[in-house]
Amino acid sequence: MPQSRTFESLPFLALVFTAGLLVPQCAHAQESEVTAGSTASITDMAVRIDREIAAGYSKHGIEPASLCSDEDFVRRVYLDLAGRIPTVVERASFIEDVSPDKRLACIDRLLASEDYVQNFTDTFDSILMGRGNRGKVAERKKLWRPYLENVFRNNRPWDQVAREILLARPDSPDQAGAVWYLFERQDNAQAIAEAVAPAFFGIRIDCAQCHDHMIASEIRQQHYWGLVAFFNRSKNQKTDAGPRIGESAIGGFSEFANIHGASSPNILTFYASKTVEEPRPEKDAKQEDIDELYQAPLPPNEPRVPKFSRRTKFVDEILSGHPMFAKAFVNRVWAQLMGRGIVHPFDQMDSMHDPSHPELLDGLANDFIATGYDVRNLIQGIVASRAYQLSSIRPQGVDDPALFAWSIERSLTAEQLARSIQIALQQRVENDHPMLPELRERMPDVMPETIVTDVGDTLFLANNPKMHQVILEGSQKDGLIARLALQADPKGAIDDLFIAILGRHPDDAESEAVLEFIQRSGTADSFEGKISRWQNVVWAVLTSAEFRFNH
Amino acid sequence: MRVVKHTETNGRGRHECGSPEHRVHRRLFLQGSMASGLASVASFNGLFSIPALAEETKKQGKKCILLWLCGAPSQFEMWDPKPGTITGGPFGAISTSIPGIQISQLMPRCATIMDKLAVVRSMSTEPNEHFQGVDVLTRGEKPRPPFTRPILGSVVAQQLGQLDSPVPQFVLLDPCPEGNEFKSFKAGNWAGWLGAQYGPVRSGGEYSIPDILRPEALSEMDHEDRESLRKFLSRKFENDRRSEAAAGYNAAFERVQGLMSCAPLFDLEKLPQADRQRYGLGAFAQHALQARHLIENGSTFVMVANGMPWDNHVFQHEMHQMLVPELDNVLFQLITDLELRGMLQDTLVIAMGEFGRTPWLNEARGRDHYSKAWSLAMAGGGIRGGVVVGETDPLGFEITQNAIDNRRLFATIFKALGIDPQEQYDLPDLPTFHRVEGDAQPIQEILLG
Repeated sequence: MPQSRTFESLPFLALVFTAGLLVPQCAHAQESEVTAGSTASITDMAVRIDREIAAGYSKHGIEPASLCSDEDFVRRVYLDLAGRIPTVVERASFIEDVSPDKRLACIDRLLASEDYVQNFTDTFDSILMGRGNRGKVAERKKLWRPYLENVFRNNRPWDQVAREILLARPDSPDQAGAVWYLFERQDNAQAIAEAVAPAFFGIRIDCAQCHDHMIASEIRQQHYWGLVAFFNRSKNQKTDAGPRIGESAIGGFSEFANIHGASSPNILTFYASKTVEEPRPEKDAKQEDIDELYQAPLPPNEPRVPKFSRRTKFVDEILSGHPMFAKAFVNRVWAQLMGRGIVHPFDQMDSMHDPSHPELLDGLANDFIATGYDVRNLIQGIVASRAYQLSSIRPQGVDDPALFAWSIERSLTAEQLARSIQIALQQRVENDHPMLPELRERMPDVMPETIVTDVGDTLFLANNPKMHQVILEGSQKDGLIARLALQADPKGAIDDLFIAILGRHPDDAESEAVLEFIQRSGTADSFEGKISRWQNVVWAVLTSAEFRFNH
Repeated sequence: MRVVKHTETNGRGRHECGSPEHRVHRRLFLQGSMASGLASVASFNGLFSIPALAEETKKQGKKCILLWLCGAPSQFEMWDPKPGTITGGPFGAISTSIPGIQISQLMPRCATIMDKLAVVRSMSTEPNEHFQGVDVLTRGEKPRPPFTRPILGSVVAQQLGQLDSPVPQFVLLDPCPEGNEFKSFKAGNWAGWLGAQYGPVRSGGEYSIPDILRPEALSEMDHEDRESLRKFLSRKFENDRRSEAAAGYNAAFERVQGLMSCAPLFDLEKLPQADRQRYGLGAFAQHALQARHLIENGSTFVMVANGMPWDNHVFQHEMHQMLVPELDNVLFQLITDLELRGMLQDTLVIAMGEFGRTPWLNEARGRDHYSKAWSLAMAGGGIRGGVVVGETDPLGFEITQNAIDNRRLFATIFKALGIDPQEQYDLPDLPTFHRVEGDAQPIQEILLG
């Protein structure tokens, strides 16, 4: 019975304490290069995907949706890879292209573009740093963002990237930004652990803080405190070379208590991992933080590195080869491109959430490893599959999204929305558009478990001054609204409107509704009146569900 | 057992927003003529400048205010004190206006209105974790994926609310974007299978709703006019794709105009200063006052939360010493106000969290989660006051009498509000679900009539 425990108030004991201070010194970071060799081609992956997904259809006796049209495809793939809708010219040149492999060519072109770099940088910034937390904007911009851009621009292997981020001992200038992941969390080892588990291992461990996970019992309280311990000797340091993460050679031993009050030591372990052996001092034994505990020689300006470094142990013995590492990444990218994970939600890959296509998840994870954690290759494989290229019209009688039998709609992220509105109205993009910060705050999280629109989101689209400002800017010279108002033939203007914003021609009913709208009332006779009517039309199309979602 | 069809709530075909302005406008739009009279009809300067409409929205009916004590408060420092025992903590117990009933000394004001309060001391539920606890105690049932049961406020708004009222029928007031599990809960699917139009309007913090006012440069007429076109285009997408995401998106837009007309309701500055002082200046107290105001003006269900401050794993006594007296005053003011206004008999007030706290203390002098014996209180609308239901043993470990689970609690709440707890949901693609599962029976002792 639990009541056998602590009735009287025990002296306050913090669950975690760090013994010993970190003294800045320097050491070499050691890292082994993984050689990347592509062995799974884009076709292999796409074929695997389509085989496994089709097996699911026959198992459930359903017919999937048909292949999507070129105009659906070009919008979808631009949003997914370039983070924006295509311009009128980009769209037209794709549609007019008659070569049979134009979809593959388009995918390759986009994956090589700077738009892809920016788009995936945005997404992974959100995934790794969190949506709500804007952090220190200036430092993020100076350090973190260039690092991520470099990762996607040079298609750096994901295992190396993860290692750089979690080891946080840059040995070249272009790795310097990787430290920001830990640095921004300001020595809060619990915050680090709670962020690392979903981002790199696809599991949530937050509720294992106080006890073993109640419903996914394989996630244990010792995994939580073990993961914390790998980072609890780390401490932010400001050096002449920039922010660094130091590490002490001593301290960081504590006990954690479960809900019944029983204590356990916070040994270095983690979910589905071995335990890293580390001598544990007697309780109350004083540890001396002496130089002999650190690697020599000490390079100037860098923090010293303990001979027994918990972070090194973590990346070498826990991260490297962890059974969830590749799966978590594959599942997340799949979720991003396909509307839900093979395990859904994508960051709860535990015994409560079975994969819808287990062989596919294993196969893709193996392919990902075999290609040397080649991110672009993985994306290519998914996007080239038929499953990705299905129509978003849901077939009759099919309701389970986990079968991937139609293209599942996804909300545009704040960044995709800000860029796409600009493309629609101006045919060009400014990355840091003034409406972006507020959009980021107001629009739902990247990849939510279910798409829920709060009335607050719609109030933003209806009334926010920045949203209004964008419409006004679109009415300036060269803007869509000005061009529409200048056009003599309203039917042609309506066609241009739909192509520019929705990437398709209007049907008769839509065309009529808009025509009636712009021709109504006397004010439409003056140019100002026309502008005003077209502003309202453009707002209505921009805020329609068709624009709001990627489908 | 009655079976009611919810054909309008399948997430696709749905109610139109019924504000008169919309109806007028939609008709005009379809006729393709902009009547010159429209601007005057659609004068949306504020709902309450239109007296007839104001009365319409204040129609009689049962209402509910849920004071959501997120994080889970301690029964020992509130409704089930065990003074002088090893589990009781440092605070004493005081007598109340009902002889024989004692509550914590931290609640002197509620002690004076015990005749209005019904206390359940024998809550016993399963989940011992916040997220699961919040889910079960706000929805009444643990999840059965992929089906999401609507939260209490959505059910009550759907059953008792006036969907054609511009005043939001279900409001969530909560100033905190953070709150761990509560944060992720807030990001979740509130209305579940009822459809997004029954989700809450959320406000809090700055005591208003961002972007609730129209851009100055845009005329009122244009604002509504362009929405008609938006709706026409957007619906087509929703229908073609049978898209639930688009349905939810369009449903949220349906609420924009009505909500904008209610902007004054969300402005605390418009409430009497004396009232604001009386409730106390904390966000929770101010939101409770705002809840009263919203209920008075036509809302059906208001949930007042405050992040999750009650989760006192550390320094339990010190924290509760601050939190409980605030709640004590808020409950007292709210119940007294509702009674003075003649609204108490129609307004159910519930104060509860997702579970209780352990009889013992942890090393940090906190009380941890405890779901097998905890307390809550209700008053007003259909509830008999001056009653205590259930009992725990002298140390508060076990329930000795009349254990009440989440199902019986929800059956009681629904019954008190005049909603059939046993009713069956009949929605497309939905297995058989009941409003309360397992034929759970309400707690008769605390129900009137």
